[in-house]
Amino acid sequence: MSEPPGSELSPAAAVSLRGISKFFDDVTAVDHVDLEIADGEFFALLGPSGCGKTTTLRMIAGLEIPSQGSLRIFGDEVGPLPPNKRPVNTVFQNYALFPHMSVADNVAFGLRMRKVGRSEIADRVAEAIKLVRMSGKESRRPAQLSGGQQQRVALARALVNRPKVLLLDEPLAALDLKLRQEMQYELKQLQREVGITFVFVTHDQEEALALSDRIGVMDEGRLLQVGTPEEIYDSPVDRFVADFIGRSNFLAGTLEDPVTVCLNNGSRITVPVVDEEIASSGAPIQVSLRPERVMIDVADAAPAGVASLTGVVASVTFLGNSIVYRVTLDWMTVEVETDHRPDLRRHAVGDNVALWWRDDAIAVVRP
Amino acid sequence: MSDAVLDESRQVLGEAERLRDRSERRRGLLLALPSFAYMVLFFAVPLVIVLVYSFATRTSTGSTSLSGWNLDAYRKLGEPIVRNVVVRSVILALVTTVICLVVAYPFAWFCATRTPLMRNLLLVAVMIPFWTNFLVRNYAWRILLSAGGPISDFTEAIGIGETHILFTKTAVVIGLVYAYLPFMILPLYASIDRLDRRMVEASSDLYASGPQTFRRVVLPLTMPGVIAGSILVFVPSMGAYVTPELLGGGKETLLGSYIVTQFLTARNWPVGASLSFVLMTVMLVSTIVYFRSGGKNL
Repeated sequence: MSEPPGSELSPAAAVSLRGISKFFDDVTAVDHVDLEIADGEFFALLGPSGCGKTTTLRMIAGLEIPSQGSLRIFGDEVGPLPPNKRPVNTVFQNYALFPHMSVADNVAFGLRMRKVGRSEIADRVAEAIKLVRMSGKESRRPAQLSGGQQQRVALARALVNRPKVLLLDEPLAALDLKLRQEMQYELKQLQREVGITFVFVTHDQEEALALSDRIGVMDEGRLLQVGTPEEIYDSPVDRFVADFIGRSNFLAGTLEDPVTVCLNNGSRITVPVVDEEIASSGAPIQVSLRPERVMIDVADAAPAGVASLTGVVASVTFLGNSIVYRVTLDWMTVEVETDHRPDLRRHAVGDNVALWWRDDAIAVVRP
Repeated sequence: MSDAVLDESRQVLGEAERLRDRSERRRGLLLALPSFAYMVLFFAVPLVIVLVYSFATRTSTGSTSLSGWNLDAYRKLGEPIVRNVVVRSVILALVTTVICLVVAYPFAWFCATRTPLMRNLLLVAVMIPFWTNFLVRNYAWRILLSAGGPISDFTEAIGIGETHILFTKTAVVIGLVYAYLPFMILPLYASIDRLDRRMVEASSDLYASGPQTFRRVVLPLTMPGVIAGSILVFVPSMGAYVTPELLGGGKETLLGSYIVTQFLTARNWPVGASLSFVLMTVMLVSTIVYFRSGGKNL
């Protein structure tokens, strides 16, 4: 975002999108996306349905042609190339296995289309099937396999071609919870093993956090923030990002200087160094405050020298490993989550409490 | 509730279900009875009569005697005259089927990939010719194809001379293709419509070109429609009578007209009956084989 204009692409970028847009009739599905995905990275495009993440993936796959912008794969412009001319393979949502072919024929399909030699095909297919632990099921039809097994075949069918980039469209969405968690782990292992760049699309924030090296959060066709899971979670720059990933309280205010925010109730708080773009705009901002980062205790227990807010407990929700308090301040309500531990004081509805936090526990975001 | 009680209540429920099933079956049978009776009276009974006649003897005066049962009529089917008729009819029906398939597939694909409104309009357009009498349509083709007709006028106007299509095999094929094309389009449309578009995308993603995708993925997955359409075109083309007579001028004897001749002119009912029966059996068996092999597309 803050790169100097005209800077050359780093040669290591596996996928590079520059000013990519996609319009369907008068709908803007993807809006000026700039993105670089490094070689060997496990990258997640995260966002709600209709945010443009799948369209972005389909443009990388060649299933959609960008309306604007430049799309490169390892430095080669691929924008107008059809899917069969690109060094990428896709694991489709619901897998799209060929129902009239056996597992082995499904996996061999790509190699056969590229006229790879018969014995090499046999070797590579066997290897790919072994990689996804489907040995012994080569002659089955997709309809005879469980969801998890179909998922593995879809992975093998793509990986056997040794693509430069593997694209995965909601790869785990069709599986039930337990299997999904298992496959998350397998997918991560697999990516380490093969060392190929994985780009996957998901609407599940936990999945994105658990799997990826970096995440790009999208909404309404725009790429809002790109960063490691920790960066995205700890330092969101946009209210949507903070709200979509985990839960958050938002305190409205204005930026007085790069490290001080005047909240709407008049109190001043210190914030971590703010993103330049936000700092220079001068517009009202919001402070994102994660519920589990807020300390809560009886009204006079706040440590001296720390900005604290006082309020009244409005509700207490017990969640087993944690307790969620809703605390009413005189100008807003704040959600606080604490561990459920015997050494922490329990508060009851109506108690007067003080809330405070470490300066680095909050983030200033675009409203 | 104890297990015993549970078991008992389950048994009672099961019994109630069985009774309900039985009464539902009975009601279904009652509803089907009229059509069932119709089929027996006007299809099964005539069929048995044809079968019986195929074993009868033709007397020297041309009448049919049911007294001496024999296989003479079936033996006669092996003679060169009949064999030639069969071969000619099969070739004609095959040509008709292949042309229908080649014409219908792209059209069905086009239909299946349009918006819902456009699809319905196109499918109605396919059905419209059915609203005109079959004979009238054949006579219309006679006028179109005749020497001095519109087509001939057109070819003359563009300088390739008069055409004489009427009363040729070409005219028969044109007429048959025209008549049976909808029977090819509809099953093809149904199976193309059912084809998951992501199959095409997946194939393309796995380096297949357009023609490769068609041959390896699209065609196999729409094969039920291809087979159903082919049966629906091939079977009536084999036995076609009106179109070959009107557009072919009856110059070359085909199965349909051969059978008619046996009954009406040659007065050899046993041969006509045996040929009809063999033709029908072959068609029936091939259709059954198709359905048994998993086609569910009619």
